[in-house]
Formats: sequence, C-alpha cells, structure tokens
Amino acid sequence: MTQPLLKVKNLEGFYGSTRVLQGIEFAVGEGGITTILGANGAGKTTTLRAISALIRTRGEIWFEGRRIDGLSTEKIAALGIAHVPDGRGTLVNLTVEENLRVGAHLRRDRARAEQDFERMYAYFPRLRERRAQQAGTLSGGEQQMLAISRALMLRPRLLLLDEPSFGLAPLIIREIFEIMRRINREEKVSILLVEQNVARALELADHAYLLETGRTVMSGTSQELRDDEQIRRSYLGF
Amino acid sequence: MYNLLQQIASGIAMGGIYACVGLALVMIYQSTHHINFAQGEMAMFSTFIAFLCLKAGLPYWAAFLVTLAGGFLLGMLIERVVLRPLKDAPEMSVIVVFIGLFVGINSLAGWIFGHQLETFPSPFPEKGPFGTKLISGHELGTIVVALVVVSLLYAFLRFTRVGLAMRAAAENAVSSRLSGVPVSRMLALGWGLSAMIGSIAGLMVAPVVFLDPNMMAGVLIYAFAAALLGGIDNPWGAVAGGLIVGVVENLAGAYVVGTELKLSVALVVIVGVLLVRPSGLFGRKLVARV
Repeated sequence: MTQPLLKVKNLEGFYGSTRVLQGIEFAVGEGGITTILGANGAGKTTTLRAISALIRTRGEIWFEGRRIDGLSTEKIAALGIAHVPDGRGTLVNLTVEENLRVGAHLRRDRARAEQDFERMYAYFPRLRERRAQQAGTLSGGEQQMLAISRALMLRPRLLLLDEPSFGLAPLIIREIFEIMRRINREEKVSILLVEQNVARALELADHAYLLETGRTVMSGTSQELRDDEQIRRSYLGF
Repeated sequence: MYNLLQQIASGIAMGGIYACVGLALVMIYQSTHHINFAQGEMAMFSTFIAFLCLKAGLPYWAAFLVTLAGGFLLGMLIERVVLRPLKDAPEMSVIVVFIGLFVGINSLAGWIFGHQLETFPSPFPEKGPFGTKLISGHELGTIVVALVVVSLLYAFLRFTRVGLAMRAAAENAVSSRLSGVPVSRMLALGWGLSAMIGSIAGLMVAPVVFLDPNMMAGVLIYAFAAALLGGIDNPWGAVAGGLIVGVVENLAGAYVVGTELKLSVALVVIVGVLLVRPSGLFGRKLVARV
C-alpha cells in the first residue's frame, strides 16, 4: 500500500467527559474498501463520528496527507469525506430530489452535478421513480439508497458508511452491497464501512479492523480475518 | 352588508400583518423549536430606525430598505450574541432569555426614542382605488405587501440553493452538516430573515396604531394566535392563520365584543387551539418517540 488515504493515530473520542475510543489506529487505503468490525458498543459508529468531527476527539486524523482533526464537520465534508450516518440521516420533509440537491450543496460545477443526479438514478432506478416524493415516505431500503446517493453527490474521495444493512431485508442488503462494490470501482471512491454483518463486510472489503471496547484489537486483510479461528467463532459463527 | 365587507377587508389587511409576524415566529420555531417572544419588539425597534430615517429626510422607500437591512442585521446580531451561547442550554433558560430580550428591547427603545406616540406615514394613498370606500389605500397596500413578502419567502425557500440548505438545516442539523451545509450560518440567516419580515410588519402596522415602544404588544399576541392556529411548524399555516385571526378579530370587535375586548379574541383562539387541536389547522401532529 502506498500512502493511505485516511490514517488515524491514537484516536480518542469522547461523549461528554466519557472517553469511548481509547486510542485506536487504522488506515484506509486509496481506492480500497476497509471495514471496521466489532460487537455492539465497540465504538464503530463513534469512530466514524470522530472522523467527521461530530464528537470531541484527541489524537491525529490524516486525510490525503493533511491533518483534519480540529476542522469543522462542514469543512471535512468539503475536503471530500462523505458520511452516511447511522439511521441514514434522511431529510424526511424534503423530496427525494431535494435530498440529493442538499448533497450537492458544495458543488460549484453545476452542469456536472446535474449529470450526477442522472448517474445516481441509474444506480438506483427506484429513486428516479420517487424523485418528487417526500423522502420520509420511502421504505428503509430506499432511504438507504437515498443516503448513499446523497453522500455521493458530494463527489467524495472517501465514503464513510455506517451500517448500511441495518434493518433491511436480505435481498435489499445484497443489492446495496453489490452497488457499493460498483461505486467503489466506477466512482473511484474509497470506502470505510462499519458493519455488524461481519460475513458480508469481509466479503466486500479488502482490509478489516476489529474493535473491542474502543480499541483496535486485530487488523489484516479480509482473508486473514476470515481465516482467524477466534473471529470465526465469535463473529461468523462457524 | 357594506359595513360587513368593509370590516372583512380591513380584517384581511390586519391579517396580512399578523401573517408576517406569525411567519417570522414560525421560521424561528422551525429551526430552534423556540418561540421568539421578542419578535414584535425587534420589529418595533426597526420601525424606529425607519422613523429616524424619515425624520432625516430620506424618501419613504429608501427608509424602507434601510429598515429592512437594519432589521436583518439586528436579527443576526441577536442570534450571534444572545442565542448562540445558549445553544445547549435547557428550554427554560431560553424562554427566560426571550422574555429578557422582550423587556430589554422595549425599555431600550423607550430610553432612546421616548414613550410619546408618534404618527408614522403610510406610503400608500389615503383613498382606496377608484374612490371606493370599501378598503383604504393603506389596507390594500398592506395586503399587497404581505402577499409579496410571503411569495418572495416561498420562492426563496423553495427554489434557491441557500433556501434549500436552510430548510435542510432546520430539519436535521447533523445530517445537513455532513453534506457540507454551514448550519450555524443558516441559523443566523434565518434570524436575519425573520427579523426582516417582522420589520415589514412593523412598518405596515405603525401608521395604524401609531409608533411607540409598546406598538407591537397586541400584534405579537394576534400573530402568536395566528401561528398556533395555522400550526406552529407550517409557514402556510401561519399565513392562513393570520388572515383568519385578522378577519375574526375585526368582526368580533365590530359586532360581538366591541373594540375594548378585541384582544381577548386572540386569547380565546390560543386557548381554543391548545385545547381542541394543539397541532393547529395545518400543523404536523407531534408524535414523540419515548
């Protein structure tokens, strides 16, 4: 791996005065899909929130060779990190198309942004059908598609995805994971994926990190983690 | 019959003013979930700016623009200086601060401008068009101004990039920031805009009630009734509520309770809405997930 796109060093994260990330370390390779695994409460979502400056942090976060910890959430988005939050962050009172327009808020290249709408609708034809509909009326899967599309409207270099499979039917999960793979390849977007569905995440990702109570306890290629006896027993169940 | 139509027409005109102040209240409520009790006083203060400009010899519409700009800046300033530090404060503190702002701005205006009633000019001709007695020039002008304000605001929120960002920020701040929307700037802008809309209401009501530091007290209560009636989270509701309250208040004043007790109509509306339909005519039902 050449210089990683995102590098996190000794990152601590706080909710109020409680420290929930105890100095984690990881890197996301350029063009790759990296996943952070772990049980409930291990600090996966918190890690993503720390990168986007939604919580107070200590430690270093480097993006494209530049330190970004201490910047505001908006600034970090402007640098090219899009974040699909847990719960999807749908703007429920706006229409589907307006949600995408909010995603394109920072775009100055109007004409290409217009093309991007079309590209998103091509990835997710169902969103095109519902473009004038209030986003709150979409199903969970459609809202997840919308959240991913909205994040991509930023034209990010790095996409942070927080549990895209949460609460969705297996068929929809498969569809969304397939599209994530396509997006990674076609849009040249690196992905940092947080997932409870360990088997699926390891299948999609090339690198993986395992968190336990706010610490990185294991890292390696997806293959390495899949072959690990302990991971298999605790997280894959066979 | 003619008298009835006259009363309705002037009710609609007053309703336009209530609609503007109600709209200002709703805008703040949507992004902060607080009722800005000082909305009327802010409008009164800006109207005094207009008064000074006119006294200095500025033509009316120039003074109008200066006042709008002044109101806008005043709104942004209050958000930055007074409310921003209270971002995470408990509900009660914010309410107390709003009441403090109400009293503070009122006293400040009294101290600077004095408490005597000042006449304030209307930019519109005295007589209605074609010599009709049905509606006065100022009433008709007020209705037109209110319509223009509401349409411009609608177009701004609906069709512009910044307007969309404001709506997004009001709905889900975190999610909007993740898309790069500068939420705190949007909040300040919202305060500026709502204060500006309030000042327009102040400019329209001053020729009717005379200008003095307590000029907006009654208007604010009617506007509050209007916003509640329409649904506090719905801008169109505020407009509809404003017109309804304006007409009902005027008719009740003329035929039922008399001018002295007119203000109680607003209270009846407020209590009635809260009892029967707290979400208002067009508001969203409040469902809290526990």
